[in-house]
Amino acid sequence: MSTERGLSDRSMTNKEAKNNIKILAANSHPELANLICKKLNLPLSNIEAIKFENNESAIVVQDSVRDEDVYIIQTGCGGYDNLNDYLMELLLMIHACTQASARSITAVIPNFPYARQDRKDKSRVPISAKLIANLLTTAGCNHVITMDLHASQIQGFFSIPVDNLYAEPNVLKWIKDNYKNTDEVMMVSPDAGGAKRVASLADKLDTQFALIHKERAKANEVSRMVLVGDVKDKSCILVDDMADTCGTLCKASDILLAEGAKEVIAIVTHGIFSGNAIERLNKSSLKKIICTNSMPLGEHVSQCPILEILDISPTLAEAIRRLHNGESISYLFNYVAV
Amino acid sequence: MRDIVIFSGSSNPALTQRICKNLSLPQGKVLIQKFANGETSVQLETSVREKDIFILQSGAGNVNDHLIELLLMISACKMASAKRINVIMPLFFYSRQLDMPVVKNGDFIKKSSNLNKNININNNNEESSKPWIAQNGTLIANLLTSAGADHIITMDLHDSQYQGFFDIPVDNLYSKQLVQYYISNFIPNFKDSVIISPDAGGAKRAAAIADSMSLSFALVHKERRTKVNNLDLSMLVGDVENKPCVIVDDLVDTAGTLIKCAKLLQKNGATEIYAIVTHGLFSGDAMEKIQNSGLFTKVITSNTLDQSNRLQNKQFNVKSDILDVSRIFAEAIRRINNGESVSIIYNSEI
Repeated sequence: MSTERGLSDRSMTNKEAKNNIKILAANSHPELANLICKKLNLPLSNIEAIKFENNESAIVVQDSVRDEDVYIIQTGCGGYDNLNDYLMELLLMIHACTQASARSITAVIPNFPYARQDRKDKSRVPISAKLIANLLTTAGCNHVITMDLHASQIQGFFSIPVDNLYAEPNVLKWIKDNYKNTDEVMMVSPDAGGAKRVASLADKLDTQFALIHKERAKANEVSRMVLVGDVKDKSCILVDDMADTCGTLCKASDILLAEGAKEVIAIVTHGIFSGNAIERLNKSSLKKIICTNSMPLGEHVSQCPILEILDISPTLAEAIRRLHNGESISYLFNYVAV
Repeated sequence: MRDIVIFSGSSNPALTQRICKNLSLPQGKVLIQKFANGETSVQLETSVREKDIFILQSGAGNVNDHLIELLLMISACKMASAKRINVIMPLFFYSRQLDMPVVKNGDFIKKSSNLNKNININNNNEESSKPWIAQNGTLIANLLTSAGADHIITMDLHDSQYQGFFDIPVDNLYSKQLVQYYISNFIPNFKDSVIISPDAGGAKRAAAIADSMSLSFALVHKERRTKVNNLDLSMLVGDVENKPCVIVDDLVDTAGTLIKCAKLLQKNGATEIYAIVTHGLFSGDAMEKIQNSGLFTKVITSNTLDQSNRLQNKQFNVKSDILDVSRIFAEAIRRINNGESVSIIYNSEI
């Protein structure tokens, strides 16, 4: 841009130019934000979340986002101490962008927090996922990008558009790369709820699938498990949307091996790994566990030798690019972004 | 008392118990849990259908956890067909809208391992816009309303403009009567004492107390000229020589302002220094600083926040008193439930 003609020149170019993408990151997952920025070849905007001594958060805004398309990267993570802090940071940051006159605000939440509290399963409990949806809209969010929602019905809790991306293409690619002969592979769903997800994968790979039926006594506690299907001499791939305490996965692996499976690996989208999950995985009969980087994994990688990571930042970056340019997102449902 | 259920969040159960005792009511049962992944879960065990609900939660400690917990409780009540949801926040969440100078000095910023960022503020760069801190007030108000709150009850709101952020009624109660009662009964020679406001913002509150008790008044003015950074430019407006001083404020956080003010008073010849603050947050090493300064004859705060780990922490040797606000809140609950005027509490003697 020439600087000779000064202001008038500037206003002209501004009229012609489209508004820009601004990528913001709160504190939950800076690595992912940096990967997305690198992919889009954009700098991270200088808008940061800080915390005061009294544990209140605040947003310091140093870059202008006036009339720009803002994308805030914040995933639902942080474990016991920080999950709610990160959620508040996201809400505060959305609100800060509305105050800063952003044209549109998109929250990129790879792992949607409170997604499992999505129904009134007991008397007088809140539908927390619905509350979070309302809070995001109230704060001023115009669009949400998320990935492998625990229940896709959560999209209906929002009055704004929600793009639910899938890690499926990445998972398919990984399986195809690692197993040349898909006949020996058996896709297994560790619970009835995930049967649809696994069936879709099995269809695309042209393999068989089995499922494990479990009777749950209490949240995060596994009771009796029954295998439906024949897994003898097969390489079993357990697929789920998230791995939290990993109790289900470890137990499922034991059952599959007891039923004559050759080996068991697990592929999950969101590696939450709370409590002593890593310890449990290291002791388990699983040959490998693959998860995406939708959550910060940090030390887990070095602590857990069987853990392997799929990078989903290209998918998110491509979704942001397509959304900004008004192109179709559904391409990403079937193809791996590069 | 008709159709009333009082729930307590996990921030200040002791205050809820006292309020319930004052009203001779059983406390509503609620199961609050936190999963290993950090998600909060709430289940109400007392039926709330067509009831008048009061939920008490204070904005201190793990503020964000408590706020989300409160929002979940409100949402649970709403989903369970409660008639009206009143939220009691003795200390309002995010009540202080801190400004840029605070960030520059770094006074209040938490230095924890996962937040070890350097905030580089560059005013010199002409291309970037002037840095600012987003104001949270409207957001907090909107979150509470969208969760389903119908009525907010709070005490000594830091910014009284906050009431305007809401589209629902907000009752702001005052601790003024309690403070006056304490001064006149527990401070020896209170007739000679001077009421001090530690900053210009609290001058109105302190002056009102001084006026109604016919005491003299002084105020400390903080200069925030950014160019001279390391100079203490506070100055005292008023005469305190050979007089006992009572510092009155609504909130003490890291206690920096309070200690600076007390130092100035001592330098100007005050005989005794009392500090009365409604909300004693005492974040960070505030208690240690207060103890080591040795300036205060007594520090007085109220039980709007759970003080067992703060002012009443046995670890620290600070003379202290706690004002009990439960009766004010109990009376407000009774009046709101009966549809009587609340403003009468502001003026009545306790």
